[in-house]
Amino acid sequence: MTNGWADIKNTDMMLIMGGNPAENHPCGFKWAIEAKRNRNAKMIVVDPRFTRTAATADLFAQIRVGSDIAFLGGVIRYAIENNRIAHDYLVNYTNAAFIIKDGFKLPEDGLYSGFDSEKKTYDKSTWNYEEGGDLTGKPVAPTPPNQNAQPQYAGQQREAKGYQGASSAEAKAGAVPAPSLPPNIAYDLSLQHPRCVFQLLKRQYSRYTPEMVERITGIPKDQFLKAADLFTSIRKDGDTKKVATILYAVGWTQHSYGTQMIRTAAMLQLLLGNVGRAGGGVNALRGHANIQGATDMGGIFDIWPGYLKVPNPNDVDLKTYLERVTPKASKPSPWDSFNYWSNTPKFAVSYLKAMFGDAATKENDWAFHYAPKIDRNYSWTQIWDNMYRGTVKGMFAFGMNGVAIGPNSQKNIEALKKADWLVVGEIYPDETSEFWRAPGTTAEEMKAINTTVYRLPCAGFAEKDGSMTNSARWLQWKNIALPTPGDARLDQDIVAQIFLKVRELYQKEGGAFPDPILKLTWPYTEPKHPALSELAKEFNGKALADLIDPKTQQVIKRGQQLPGFAWLKDDGTTSCGNWIYSGCWTEAGPQLMRRGTEDPSGMGVYQNWAWAWPANRRVLYNRASCDPSGKPWDADRRQVWWNEATQTWVGNDVPDFKPDSAPKDHMGPFIMNPDGVGRIFAPLAAFADGPFPEHYEPTESPVVNALHPNQSNSPVVKRLTSTADKYGTVSEGFNIICTTYRLTEHYHYWTKNNPVNVQLIPEPFVEMPVELAQELGIKGGDTVKVTSARSFYVAKAFVTKRIRPMNIDGKKVYQIGLPIHQGYRGIQEDADRNARTLANRLSPAVTDPNAYTPEFKGFLVKLEKV
Amino acid sequence: MSVSQVVSPVRTGDASGDRIQRYSLGERVNHWIGGLFYIYCLVTGLGFWSPYMFWMVVLVGGGPAARFWHPWLGLVFFASVCWMCKLWFRDMVITPEDRAWHAAIDHYIRNEDEDLPPIWRFNWGQKIFFWLMFYGAILLLISGCGLWWVESIPWSLRWLRYLSVTVHVTAALATIGGFIIHVYMGTAMVRGGFTSIIRGEVSAAWAKTHHRLWYEQVRKGTAGRE
Amino acid sequence: MSQATLAIRRISGHAGPAPGAGVERAEQVCKLVDTTTCIGCKACEVACLEWNGYAFSQTTFNNSYQTMPTTSWNYWNLIKFNEHEREDGALMLLMRKDQCMHCAEPGCLAACPADGAIVQYTNGIVDFQQQNCIGCGYCVSGCPFDIPKFNSNTKKMFKCTLCSDRVSEGLEPACIKSCPTGCLHFGTKDDMTFLAEKRAQQLRENFGMEKAGVYDPQGVGGTGVIYVLHDVSNPEAYGGLPKDPYIPWVVQFWKGPAKWIGNLAMLGGIIGVTLHYLRFGPKQVNGWKHKEGGKP
Repeated sequence: MTNGWADIKNTDMMLIMGGNPAENHPCGFKWAIEAKRNRNAKMIVVDPRFTRTAATADLFAQIRVGSDIAFLGGVIRYAIENNRIAHDYLVNYTNAAFIIKDGFKLPEDGLYSGFDSEKKTYDKSTWNYEEGGDLTGKPVAPTPPNQNAQPQYAGQQREAKGYQGASSAEAKAGAVPAPSLPPNIAYDLSLQHPRCVFQLLKRQYSRYTPEMVERITGIPKDQFLKAADLFTSIRKDGDTKKVATILYAVGWTQHSYGTQMIRTAAMLQLLLGNVGRAGGGVNALRGHANIQGATDMGGIFDIWPGYLKVPNPNDVDLKTYLERVTPKASKPSPWDSFNYWSNTPKFAVSYLKAMFGDAATKENDWAFHYAPKIDRNYSWTQIWDNMYRGTVKGMFAFGMNGVAIGPNSQKNIEALKKADWLVVGEIYPDETSEFWRAPGTTAEEMKAINTTVYRLPCAGFAEKDGSMTNSARWLQWKNIALPTPGDARLDQDIVAQIFLKVRELYQKEGGAFPDPILKLTWPYTEPKHPALSELAKEFNGKALADLIDPKTQQVIKRGQQLPGFAWLKDDGTTSCGNWIYSGCWTEAGPQLMRRGTEDPSGMGVYQNWAWAWPANRRVLYNRASCDPSGKPWDADRRQVWWNEATQTWVGNDVPDFKPDSAPKDHMGPFIMNPDGVGRIFAPLAAFADGPFPEHYEPTESPVVNALHPNQSNSPVVKRLTSTADKYGTVSEGFNIICTTYRLTEHYHYWTKNNPVNVQLIPEPFVEMPVELAQELGIKGGDTVKVTSARSFYVAKAFVTKRIRPMNIDGKKVYQIGLPIHQGYRGIQEDADRNARTLANRLSPAVTDPNAYTPEFKGFLVKLEKV
Repeated sequence: MSVSQVVSPVRTGDASGDRIQRYSLGERVNHWIGGLFYIYCLVTGLGFWSPYMFWMVVLVGGGPAARFWHPWLGLVFFASVCWMCKLWFRDMVITPEDRAWHAAIDHYIRNEDEDLPPIWRFNWGQKIFFWLMFYGAILLLISGCGLWWVESIPWSLRWLRYLSVTVHVTAALATIGGFIIHVYMGTAMVRGGFTSIIRGEVSAAWAKTHHRLWYEQVRKGTAGRE
Repeated sequence: MSQATLAIRRISGHAGPAPGAGVERAEQVCKLVDTTTCIGCKACEVACLEWNGYAFSQTTFNNSYQTMPTTSWNYWNLIKFNEHEREDGALMLLMRKDQCMHCAEPGCLAACPADGAIVQYTNGIVDFQQQNCIGCGYCVSGCPFDIPKFNSNTKKMFKCTLCSDRVSEGLEPACIKSCPTGCLHFGTKDDMTFLAEKRAQQLRENFGMEKAGVYDPQGVGGTGVIYVLHDVSNPEAYGGLPKDPYIPWVVQFWKGPAKWIGNLAMLGGIIGVTLHYLRFGPKQVNGWKHKEGGKP
């Protein structure tokens, strides 16, 4: 979330797509209701199903699964055509005025410039700003920007992969520096230059006419126009006061172009000037209590804690690595850019100090070589693919049910059958720890399974303390409510004891490269039971020598907790496990345990409740809530502002900005970008699949792409090719679109063990339109079988008016949906009351090329009555 | 030997002496089963009917027990009525003699029995009371089931719930009216009547007085047999 | 549940006036359910279940998100889900929290024959006192909302207590406490009515719901649970909320005039036969003087 849950109450307009907050985030949805009740805010819900969120909406549009970019692109077009845009914001705070290199080509045929059809990747060197200066009002050379794209760029420079990886072959080739942003960007503040971002944007989405939106999304033109008009009405007649927010969840993320869907939303919000403002932003609604914390702490293979990039084999030393990952400011010359990532060396060295302590010295590059380097994609589906192919032999599965999560659950089950060992830490016997009980496993097969499974009873959430980071980036501490039952142990205790045992073995036996294990810091009072409070202090960071702030003369003594990441150093005098969390546990105490409910501004800021990263800021980029002169766009919703008297930024929130940068200096409010501006155009390697989002069809789609039938799918999406990875087509009879979702009554795969949840929704079902059910002679409650190219799923039919048949480009298309919650272990399952098939047996293991999230939403199936 | 085999309306009545058998053992047992269970249902029902009579329910074990037994014993009552019907159905058919008797009922009320036309085993009033209880019992049973399983009546058919209440109350009140008169006549008004339903016998004079045609039939039957 | 701290205004099946009637004037409590902000999350169902200590029961899928077809003796709070098509063709998913309405003129109490089995506290809560309940089920016939439910094991009737145990201690009902969106409110009837009317006005003026209004049926004297509905002219669409509920006339007649007519009839019968005896005395076989003989 750029903003926060409580901040939603400040909005005037909500667009909810790719998410179902009423069902999956009911407590957070309170704030959406508050906005409706207290501000008369309007709510637009666009979803394949009429959900319980839609029940409270002012406008609902049923969209075809996976066509969200077309819808949002259409809204962008509508906003530009009707001048419903925030002009000053656009010119000053985004890269709308920046000029893009000659040779960049829009994907009118489905491909951007620089596509390498052999490798299925883009050479992104034309996806860059042009070097230059102020071209405002200057005559433009008549070259149309779209005709110059030639493959001469391909292979010219090495692409940067999303996971920052590089193959070893590339490592050997090495040496060619990645393209970088020009320090002095060419720009046209009149936004007239044909190659300026705004004109490219306009051109890109000029194809997304209401008629085209209807053809792709199935939303009737008049309904689409109503929605577009309502959403952009906040900028009607040049109004700059009103704010709109966009709320989304994994309904956007879980597509083979999910990142680009979210990008489109971000672009729309920049166009309307909604980012950085109270009641605005692009807000990811997290599906677990601590999923934000998981990514913050480096729970993804290609990032270190605090979103530092993981080194790859080309990073031969720390200097090379830091040069690669530390951006240099790139901006129009009269403007200023904070470029906060220029501090990357401080964050990285402090991180290495936290990991390896005294063993990290200047001489050994701060133990840079103890850290693993990634040479390829190690993402979720890849791990299972590798196990399926026999290269991964064992797995630790803690706090997740990998078989049920899928995608292509049956493949994961097959993979586990081939593994040597599996360690599961859980509170219930689950589908993963009892993978051999999957329906359809024969006695013969069971005999052939040689996987040793170690099942470790872990602690439930109420039996652990620690902090959880919510969608609003708040670190909130919770206490232990109950002791662990029986032999159950805390997860961190189990991991600690495994680590200590491994270290002992390394000490005894040496091994190929013992240093990373032997020299890892383990400074906890009870090594076998690391207290999470000690870990929290560790990731906050501390001074390893006396530190003095040259401006204020404030001193932090050696060994003291750091007040925040501004104190981090790249000379080994600070350690910090996660720079963005620095400030959560200071000398003043555990900030993340605070429970202050004061809210003097009445805007739901709650500065003294818990602690939000970064630096307790509640709304990111909040400098953008003011006009270029430093005055709030809306005097009634004042977040931060420029104080002439003190010459500093002050406010109800912590300014997300250089505190003393005067408005006249024109520093960009998006301080994490080297260009300081919100990126409508994402230059260079930001995204693997294009600097602007383009509508592509899901990997399995019943129709061809109406924009470019010859390039229906995203060209950079790679399909897994194992024998278990199959993809269906309409000609094979897979003619119904299926999507998966959660229900408010259940939590993933474990509340099926809890009687009350089971009582609320006892059985799995398949939601289907009345018309489809009639065609197939299905009545509500009948048992039906859903089959994809991969496997099948059996459940009861839920015949409903809430999903209607769709007309996609003249073709009648049905969509169905199924909740993911049931499996083959649980109260109902153990009593043999349901079919025991997992929903994710159906979903394909095809992923987004940027985030590697599988395409759980939107694949093809056939449906029959059993 | 079962009671029902002994009892045949025609054959009832042993007029060999001064005493005539009016009710067989089976008839008397039947009458008292019906009577006692009717009284139980009456007492408990009256308790449910009005707070001012709830004390009656307390006398027979309290509200929950009364509520539990009322429908079950009501079923027993109904069964006894069915049995009674089997025993007396033929005797209870309204005859032309009854109509004549009814036309002169004023004499009966004024105890001017000598001015009444002769009748068979039961007089018009007894028969009316029998049919009142018979149809009343059927209505009480049906409406009682509606009250017993009131939750099983779907909301869309809830008028049946209301109908059940109405019918049960109305039928109960009607039978209570009959019951009051029946008890009065059986105990206070018609001397010998109460003994007859206890001992089964009446005097020949009693039979001749109140049920002359029956008396004569019995006499004849006895003579014939002798 | 007996609530010693709550004074009683009305008692079922009671001879004579209620002991607390007129003694104490209390604020009427009221639950406000704003169906336009209900998201059908069922938190209120679970809160009700847990606060009242009822265990899991087996349910089956019934082509709906609704947990079970109706409330039951151990499930007092149920969200009713209805897919409703508006006249303009737009679909609505109506979700209404169904529970005892705590009528000002409670039909259940009127119908109940057992002394003290149903009471109405001075704060308006209608509560079943299971220790006095005889399980006759008359309340089922008396209720215009189909709320009281029978436990066939204990032979007692049960329904929502409006958390009289919590309310008597100054707490809000459990369902209110659990509601995540603030669709449920609890307070005095006056405050809730004000809030509800304001919300309905907001819906009419700002959200284009011309027929939005407050459901507080006067046929039962108003209720202790009031609804804000998108379309107050069609409450039946919300899972059969009766448009104009009243205590069934049968029950009113039965518990009113019929009682006196019946009592008078029975009394009349007894008086009648007594007078008859006094006037005419018993029939004597001896007194029979038919000319064709017979022994004196």
